Amino acid sequence: MKFRPKQDNLAGYAFIAPFIAGFLMFTIIPMLASLYLSFTSYDLFSSPQWIGLDNFTEMFTNDEKYWSSVKVTLIYVLAGVPLRLAFALFIAMQLNRASRGVGLYRTLFYLPSILGGSVAVAIMWRNIFGNEGMINALLFFVGIDKQILWYQDPMKALWTLILLAVWQFGSSMLIFLAGLKNIPKDYYEAASVDGANAVQQFFKVTLPLLSPIILFNLVMQTIAAFMTFTPAYIISKGEGGPLDGTLLYSLYLFQKAFSFFQMGYASAMAWVMLLFVALLTFVFFKTSKYWVHYESKGE
Amino acid sequence: METVSAKVAVNGPEPVKSKRFRPRNLFYHLFTAGLAIVMLYPVIWLLISSFKESTSIFSTAHSLVPDPWIWSNYSEGWKGIAGQPFLTFIKNSLIIVVLSTAGAVISSALIAYGFARIPFAGKNFWFACMMLTMMLPHEVVMIPQYILFAKLGWINTFKPIVVPHWFGYPFFIFLMVQFIRTIPVDLDEAAKIDGCGRFGIFFKVILPLITPALATSAIFSFYWRWEDLINPVLYLNSPDLYPVSLALKLFLDSESASNWGAMFAMSVVSLLPVIIIFFIFQKYIVEGISTTGLK
Amino acid sequence: MKKVVYAALSCMMTFSIAACSSSAPSNEASSSTVTGQEPIKLRIAWWGGTPRHEYTKKVIEMYEKQNPHVQIEEEYANYDDYWKKLAPQAAANQLPDIIQLDTSYFAQYANKGQLEDLTPYTQNGTIDVSSITEDVVASGKLNDKLYGMSLGVNALTVVMDEENVKKAGLQTPAPDWTWDDFEKLTIEVKNKTGSFGSNGLYPPDVFLPYYLRTHGQHMYSADGTSLGYTDDSLFVEYFQRKLRLVEAGAIPTPDLQAQLKGIEDDFIVKGTAFMSWNWSNQYIGFMETAKRPLALHLPPGPNQKEGMFLKPSMFFSIASNSKHKEEAAKFISFFLNDIEANKLIKGDRGVPVSSKVLEGIKPVLSPDQTRVFEYVNEVSKNSSPLSPMDPPGSAEVIKTLKDISEQILFKKITPEEGAAKFRQKANEILAKNKG
Repeated sequence: MKFRPKQDNLAGYAFIAPFIAGFLMFTIIPMLASLYLSFTSYDLFSSPQWIGLDNFTEMFTNDEKYWSSVKVTLIYVLAGVPLRLAFALFIAMQLNRASRGVGLYRTLFYLPSILGGSVAVAIMWRNIFGNEGMINALLFFVGIDKQILWYQDPMKALWTLILLAVWQFGSSMLIFLAGLKNIPKDYYEAASVDGANAVQQFFKVTLPLLSPIILFNLVMQTIAAFMTFTPAYIISKGEGGPLDGTLLYSLYLFQKAFSFFQMGYASAMAWVMLLFVALLTFVFFKTSKYWVHYESKGE
Repeated sequence: METVSAKVAVNGPEPVKSKRFRPRNLFYHLFTAGLAIVMLYPVIWLLISSFKESTSIFSTAHSLVPDPWIWSNYSEGWKGIAGQPFLTFIKNSLIIVVLSTAGAVISSALIAYGFARIPFAGKNFWFACMMLTMMLPHEVVMIPQYILFAKLGWINTFKPIVVPHWFGYPFFIFLMVQFIRTIPVDLDEAAKIDGCGRFGIFFKVILPLITPALATSAIFSFYWRWEDLINPVLYLNSPDLYPVSLALKLFLDSESASNWGAMFAMSVVSLLPVIIIFFIFQKYIVEGISTTGLK
Repeated sequence: MKKVVYAALSCMMTFSIAACSSSAPSNEASSSTVTGQEPIKLRIAWWGGTPRHEYTKKVIEMYEKQNPHVQIEEEYANYDDYWKKLAPQAAANQLPDIIQLDTSYFAQYANKGQLEDLTPYTQNGTIDVSSITEDVVASGKLNDKLYGMSLGVNALTVVMDEENVKKAGLQTPAPDWTWDDFEKLTIEVKNKTGSFGSNGLYPPDVFLPYYLRTHGQHMYSADGTSLGYTDDSLFVEYFQRKLRLVEAGAIPTPDLQAQLKGIEDDFIVKGTAFMSWNWSNQYIGFMETAKRPLALHLPPGPNQKEGMFLKPSMFFSIASNSKHKEEAAKFISFFLNDIEANKLIKGDRGVPVSSKVLEGIKPVLSPDQTRVFEYVNEVSKNSSPLSPMDPPGSAEVIKTLKDISEQILFKKITPEEGAAKFRQKANEILAKNKG
């Protein structure tokens, strides 16, 4: 066992008191309510009927749309999160230079993310990938004159969603940037004195010192990606088409809850997702001790 | 205390040492500017569309030159909807966003310090609770939460949208925890020797050093609340309380002709406050107070 | 000592937060100052676009002026957001007094005790139905209870760009044209001009039922526990025809249809299709955006009379949790029957159901609106009673139909497989309504 610092319960609870208060007041009751509802049949209008594990057995054994939404979501997360994070880190490093115009660039790169999940974005995005949209025009320009029908093939339609996620990389980028700014300059100076080149500096200094922030972005972006709802909802007009290609888990859950009025089933779906994402997060945290470097643990 | 007084320094791995022309810089600018333009194309498209006639926005979607240029989208959109001037919606958004952002950032910083630096019984439990609240899809807690707020008599007020943010926002708490953990504990120890208590350390050491995280949180909170649609949809009934996000959708109708022009124009207008906030706060990220001045 | 400070601080923080919360803006409207009747407040909710919000507000002001003791709070949103608001309100027993509903959600709300039976109000004259036909009133009935008053009616139509058809050297169809005529014309348009002959007859849940009706069958059974049609060959014929048209490039593929962002974007508006299957009320939007003359045609037959019907465009219903049902009923009656009010409404919520209103507002209608009114009037003489109401669970059935339609048109499954799959899944969903 490692050395355990002296506990200071009163101070600890004093600082996190607001969280506990809010959690008890606004969060825990609705959460437990939804857990209860996942064992019921509930149509929002009449009182819930206890049906035991029926929702879960239906989901796992008899609902092909459920499994197709799981598949779509996994592809979305596995492709979208690494791409977005890599891109965000790359741009953040480009912007972390004391170069002229860097402030302007920062704002320009951040703008797409400000547009968020608004209707305007969805419309624009649909247009860009339309049969006569910008992407096909660009492809024509570089010599590919066969139109790509982005919304006819489920996989291609999903890629438009993934690219939208990558395009809105701004929040991760900003967090990386803030993290990079927090790395003391003398670390680089020391490395430089030791004769490390830029690549070595990146692996010896930047990555380890940024690792808590990378962990943060990895965990949060993964959670967020699993929950992605708005872009899929507005781009596919709530349908998840074509051929369920953009039917993300949250979108299917929403359809079940508010279009088909099966709140019990939707709650069951939500809790399965919570368990899965919690497990994944747990794995991230457990493995993090092998690759995340905290200053506060002391050298 | 002067031991921890930090020095402002613009830092980075490769500080520019002279203004002498270097081909690498030219390449950097070409590359970064080029990428920025690609990233910005959709934003430009949005801006241009706001100067087109509603009925021709889609038939001329490929063109970046409006023909003719129409300004009336802005005046029409600004007039608002059914007697509610658009300014009302902006005002509502500002109230919601400022109140919840201030509350979220302040409370999250306190909570984050508790999680990051103070050992106490049950810490992991509460931290896990916090993480779990982010993993349950909002759709299924919406109904119970709505019933809860209805019982409190909070429906059709800003309270259900604003007040929960005053009790810490998990994303920001976790973010600040991670930032605090990158700060060497030696600084705390030094401050302790100087006679600082927990609050003293928090305000004099930690807060200044996590300025970038605070600024980041403020920016995020601002635009997440600004674009938040589902909570206003649920909790606000009177159109005179609607925020911008909800008002923009009032221009659209699936059954008859929509006022796309006004929607795009007001989308552009509603971006301005967010951009301004970004401008103000981003310099705290850039000029992050570094620990370089220590020792 | 320090510990006391922490405790005090954290308490203070909690309290100051609680104190702040009560200072957040509240929305207590001042009560109206009226003599005689006790002032009451009604909440009314509807969906729509900007013009609808504007005139509805004026109608409400008109009503408030005539009934100074009533104050009406408006709650409006666009179609999507509207239903997101309504569901939690129902769950929390907080529905507005007067709710606008359409046929797709009607049964869901009516069946679960959320809505008030309006029969007593129509019987005692609170809701004046003297100038509304029996059939139209009955369109708001479910299980013999009147859960909503239809605000207007629409009819199916094929909007046609006759000028372009003629320019292509083709004949505009006779009123009693057939599905084969339609298919022939559509393909000829494609072959001669390269444009689509028609839009994609989307969504399938509107046009498949019409086809079933022309063969004397209905989408849902009367009790709502199963599909109504028994002959799968109708389903197969309908989709075989659509598939032929898609393969010929004469109607757009489902992905193109799904990419439309609104009326402005529609094929017939942009001139890339010569016909558009739609509801009659959309004609006005088409005319506004297309800016060239378009004609209204009856959908093809045979048996158009059996197939056609007047669809209630939307209903006003009264929530069971309303405390002022009588007053709410009075307002609905005003909305349906007042000629001055309807001069503002002008058939935006469907062609008015009251014959007096229909007469009274004729002078203020635009030529386009008049054409829609005339078309619906013509249909009303040539139509059959409504099919059974969409039962609870129909939303999921409709989604299933859309999915299967897409699979057929993208040739993932054959129409025969689609018919069997649809029957099995739809009946599975609808069977939950039993007992």
